[in-house]
This record gives sequence, C-alpha cells and structure tokens, in this order.
Amino acid sequence: MPNVAAIGTYLPCWGIPARRVVGDDEDAITMAVEAGRAALQSGAGVERVVLVSRNLPLLESSNAAVLLAGLGLDPELEVDERLGGAPATLDAVSSARPRTLIIGADLEPAGAAALLTAEDGLRVRTAARVARSLPVRTRNATGTVHDYGDPRLLHERGLIASLAAAWLDTPAAVAGVDHDSANDLCVGNPPRLPTTGASSSLFALAGMAEAGTTGPLVAVEQASLSGITVSHGTASVHRREPASREMPAGGYADGAQIPISLAAYERAFEAKTRWEAGKFAGSDELDFPPRYRVSNDGDLATLYDLVPLPRVGTVYTETTVHMPVPGLRTPYSLVLVELDDVEVRALVKVTGAEPGSVAIGDRGRLTLRRVAVRSGVPDYSYMFEPESVTSSSGPGTGFAA
Amino acid sequence: MRNVAIVGAGMTPFGEHFALGLKDLLPMAFADCAASVDKGIDKHDLQAAWFGAMATTDGFPSGNLADTLGLPELPVTRVENSCATGNDAVRNALFGVASGAFDIALVMGADKLRDTTSKDMLWEWEAMARDMAWDYPLGVVSPAGFALHVSRYLHESPATREHMAMVAVKNHHHGINNPKARLRFEITVEQALAAPTVVTPFGLYDCAPQSDGAAALVIAAEDVVDRFTDRPVWIRGVGLGLDSVMHQHKRDLTTFPATIRAAKQAFTMAGMTPRDVDVAEVHDFFTGIELISYEDLGFAERFGAYKLIEAEVTSVGGSLPVNPSGGLKAKGHPPGATGVAQCVELFQQLRGEAVNQVDGARIALAHNIGGPTAVSAVTILEGPGANGS
Repeated sequence: MPNVAAIGTYLPCWGIPARRVVGDDEDAITMAVEAGRAALQSGAGVERVVLVSRNLPLLESSNAAVLLAGLGLDPELEVDERLGGAPATLDAVSSARPRTLIIGADLEPAGAAALLTAEDGLRVRTAARVARSLPVRTRNATGTVHDYGDPRLLHERGLIASLAAAWLDTPAAVAGVDHDSANDLCVGNPPRLPTTGASSSLFALAGMAEAGTTGPLVAVEQASLSGITVSHGTASVHRREPASREMPAGGYADGAQIPISLAAYERAFEAKTRWEAGKFAGSDELDFPPRYRVSNDGDLATLYDLVPLPRVGTVYTETTVHMPVPGLRTPYSLVLVELDDVEVRALVKVTGAEPGSVAIGDRGRLTLRRVAVRSGVPDYSYMFEPESVTSSSGPGTGFAA
Repeated sequence: MRNVAIVGAGMTPFGEHFALGLKDLLPMAFADCAASVDKGIDKHDLQAAWFGAMATTDGFPSGNLADTLGLPELPVTRVENSCATGNDAVRNALFGVASGAFDIALVMGADKLRDTTSKDMLWEWEAMARDMAWDYPLGVVSPAGFALHVSRYLHESPATREHMAMVAVKNHHHGINNPKARLRFEITVEQALAAPTVVTPFGLYDCAPQSDGAAALVIAAEDVVDRFTDRPVWIRGVGLGLDSVMHQHKRDLTTFPATIRAAKQAFTMAGMTPRDVDVAEVHDFFTGIELISYEDLGFAERFGAYKLIEAEVTSVGGSLPVNPSGGLKAKGHPPGATGVAQCVELFQQLRGEAVNQVDGARIALAHNIGGPTAVSAVTILEGPGANGS
C-alpha cells in the first residue's frame, strides 16, 4: 500500500456549516477540481486519477477531459471514474500505487476531498472489507429514487451488523453516517465530517491526519463497509473550506434550452478549461481566446502555443443581470477582469458571491465552474471568485479537526 | 463622386406589430416614403435598392422587398451590420448613386422582432452577437454588453444614474408628439430612478423597447433631383467604424472607438466639424450610450456629456437637440429600420416639417452603435438651400 502525501478538501460556500449545497455553477467535477488542486499544491507528481462519486454529471460520455484540464494534468493520464460511496474511496486508496490522485465528490451534502499517494507520508493499510446488501435507498439508471424508509433497520442490520462482521477494533473515525452515530461507535473524538458520500472517508482521513490520530477508519455505505488502519507518518492537509452563507435568492426562467455548437465547444475546449492563451513564437503578445494571425504582408500564422494565464486579477468593470434570462438563474453578475501581470482581460461570470456585490477594483481568483448546461451538455469555463470568499476560510468552518 | 440627395422619406409606426408581417411593413413604409416625394414618384423609377435587415422572419430578405413592392426586376442588396445596419444601407446606396452606377435608388430598413416567441428571442438574437463558445453561454444579454461600458463610464466620469434618467426623460418628452413612436408618455427622473432594474446600472426606463418596423428613403443623384423635389436633403458624409467584437479585447470601455472612426470619416467627407451640427439622432438603445456618444461624436469633451444633459443643450429648444424623434428610447429599435428611420426624422427636420421642429436646422447627424459595440455608422445630412456643389 502507498502512503498518503497530501489531502485537499473543498466545500462550496453555500448552505449551513453542517450541510453545504452547490450553486448552479458547481457539480461533482468542479468540486473534484477544487479539492484536487488543493491536494496538488504540494507540487508532487501524479500518474493516474481515480474519481469516486455517485453524482457524476455525465454517465454517458466522459468527465475525464474536464477533470484533467481543471487539474492542469496531462490529457494522457488514466482517469478511473468510479461509481461509489465512502467505502469505494477507501478501496481506491487501499489498491492505489504511489502518485495516484484519488478524489471523492458528493452533491448532498456537497463537498469533495482528494488524496495524493506517494512513497512517503502518512502510512495506512487495509483493515477490512465487507460487501452486504441492504438497499434501503436506490437510484436507477434514469435517476428514479426509491426510499424504503426504515432508518432503524439500516442502522442495526446495515452499519452495526457489518461492523460486527468486519472484526475491527473500535474505530477512531467512521465516515458515511451522521456524526452522532459515528460518535457512538468511536473512541475519542472522531472528526466531524461535512459529507456522507464518496468524499467523507477522505474528509475523515484529513481530520485524523491533522489531529495526529491513529487507529481504524471505517467507511460505510448502507450495509457495505471498508476500513483502513491509520498509523504513523504525516500528510499535509490543504482545506478550501470557506465559511458557509445562505444561498442568495434567485429565480429560474424556464422554457429555453441554451443552444450549443459542439464544433465550437471542441475548438475552444483546451484553452477554455485549462485557462490558457495563445502565444506565437517570437511574440510577447497573448491571444485570449487563441487565434490565427495574419501579418502585414498577408502571411498566415496558425502554430501558436497554449500558455497558462494568471488565475488572479482585478475587476475592471461589472454588471448584474436582473432580467429573466431563459435557461439561467438570475440575478447573476458579469465582470471584466484584468489578469495580473499580463495584458489580458477576461469576461467571466461571478461565483461564490451575492449577485451585485462585486465592485470595480475588487480582487479575486479565476476558478473552474460549470458556466451553463447547454442542450444537455455541461459547459465548463472559469469564473471570478472575489477575495472575500476565500479569505473567509479557516477556523470556524466546524470541520477542521 | 456626384452629390446625392434624399428626395423622399417615410416609415411605419414602430411597435409590436403582431398583426403585420415583414411583407406588410415593407410596402407600408415605402408608400409613406413615396407620399413625401414632392413631385411624386413612379416606383419603376427605382433602379436599385439596398435593404437593411438584421434578421429575417419570412425567408430571403432581398427577394421579399422586390416581391412586396411588385418590382421583381429591381436589383436588391441586403445589408446586415448589426445595429448600424440602417445607416450602412444609406452609405452603400449613396456609393451606388454617387458613383454614377444608378441615378435613383431605394434605401429600406426593416426588422420584425416580435415574430419570435419572447422566450426564444433572447438566445436567437444573442447568437448574432456573441462568440458561440466563449461569450454566448455567459448570458451577456444585449443590455449587459452595453452595461459593462456604462458601469465603467459612471466609475470614471462625473456622470451619474441621474444623468441617465435625464436622457430618458428628455427622449420620452420628445416622443410624445411623434405619431410613429411606440412609447408616447412623459416620465420623471424620480420614476426612472425608481424603476425595476433590468441590468445594472440600467433600470427599465434606461432601455429602449423591442419593436417591429420599417423605414424607407428614396435617394437621387444631383442630375435628376429636380424631377422629384425642389427641397432635397443632401447626404454630405457617411462613415462606418468597427471595433473589437469581444469586450475583453476593448481597452477603454468608457468610449466607443467604432463611433469615433465612423464620425471621423463622415465629418471628413462632409468637410464639417461637430460644431456644424444643428440636430442629431443618436443611438440611445440605453440612456448611458447617448451620453458616451456625445463625447465620441465630438459634441462634448471627454467625460463632459453630463453638462450637456444638465444644461438641456440636447433638448428641443437647446442649441444641439438630440433625438427630437424620441430616439430609440421612445420609438423602439427594429435594428434594420432604426438608422433609416433616424434619416426619416432628419429629412423632416431639415425641411422644416418635423413634429418637434428644431428652428433653423441646416446640418443633421444620424448615429448608430451596435454589434457588441463593435460597429458604428454615421450619416451627415444638409438641408435644402445648399446648392449641392
């Protein structure tokens, strides 16, 4: 088994501390990118990516290209999109080779966490795995949900019976259940977890790593369970967990499908999802979006390189759209952002802030979001998150151990 | 190049013409125009037509114009240049006649926005203005594109939302007398400021209404003008300017370089300066655009537009009335027709027959800016009395 080098976590800013919700511009992939980038800020290498979720935006087609682009990783990397909950993420850790980025992402409650394996770091080893069937809540291929409606049955014949079958020591943390249940089953003070799905086991590991807790970590989904034992060593933990705020009121004007040209989507994809500009050899100018150029004497130049753009900038001008726009939630704010240190501006939407709250001169970062769903296709690009959102993170989120 | 004059001008009322199609509005506007030709016109006198239409609701626009006028032999060229379409149609027709290729030509402009269901109209029209991959999904609706300019303009200049409201009040006031205008009622500054927000910093009264309509001009070479009128209105200058399409490529959002380029061409061609202009129809799709345009057209110094509106210089009765027709604000804005309709108003102004007559008006200017603030057309007209030389 590999060791854990770094863990990154991400929570959307909307909702209440114990239950975050996503805005219209976030999904499992944008959250996975946020958590993944947090884990990768240590600078260690990645050779493959495992994404675990039960909320993958595309079940047909693939989420891999956007995920790799958002993470700034090579499009040649293997991406394993796994359907699963808290145990599946721990299973991915158990079987991972070094330099694997494992990400869990959940929508309800919302959050994502990512873990990077390495030769050194926090030592973990497989402790238990039990697959039992008690399908008290089901969702089929078309998304239809059935709930059996017996939480006592789930607790007794799911959680407790599976724990007994696993022959584990008393856990130090339990992921996949509510905090009170976890508390009853654990020694000491198990970390309070913001999610219950695929990301929850990594949130638990982050809490144990920060607190220096060792012992069994158990991840549960209905009657299935996986466990690892956390022993010595250290992993760096990077949390992107802004303080929670109530989602601003808004209206959704129904009726129109926003059209898409998939040809235009494909042409723009790399620059748009990797936040890159075109640059011709011998020129200092950046073209954003990238484009062909014609010289004064009519020569055509097409071979530009894509170069990364700065991800911080200052608002040059702004507007907030209040009128109903079919297919979009209003109000929303648009800003023209001057990127730091380059002669490039970008017209983007605002994320993570009350519409109308961003002013000329405000500073912030550009981050991957789902800009729109166009005729069934999630359309990803970058949005401006004002500094006030990121600076609200740290103690007080209720989840740091 | 030969001197060219407008000898007839007319238009339909602008409004939500649910009961009238494009094929009805075109003959209506032409008949209104023909009726204004002092010595009359036989439609077969027309040798060519330029038709400004931004969109099409009933198929092939050029053919629709020839068909509906009953002139199947008439060569018709469609012009499409976003909100500058109408004045660009004037410009192209002028070149056709001034060059000697034709003696008599028809300029028409029309658009029919309200044949599309309102829920689909927005994305349909946005597709004509935005980069499909980058800007389109952001929801940069038309007022938002202009608002990015006006927000920055309000940030850098002394102008305020009150000054924008004064533009709305002025143009509503002018529109009351205009039977072709869609919104014919007075508003107050307080009402404008208290109106629901559409797109910051625009409230409802900062915006022009979506409308249908058509407008027509007959233009003639100086050699044949006498056949139609003894009171021609001369086209002295035309200009067309462009600017970057995407907002992120525009360096200074407090100004419209497209307007500056178009105005420079038109004034140079006319041998005139902004001080020569007695009356103007300026693109007030949104009130703040009229303020910025005062500066781009040379009517005010940079960031000095607010002084003109405060001192009522641009009201009828002031020294440089702007939008005596009520502007886009009160009339409405069917893009293809808008520029042509501005020239209809100025034709009447320069002949002393306008509903809000500007005393002694001799030189007039029409202006449009659009296509994500990336294209502008300016036309300069001179009234009868000038001998055309």
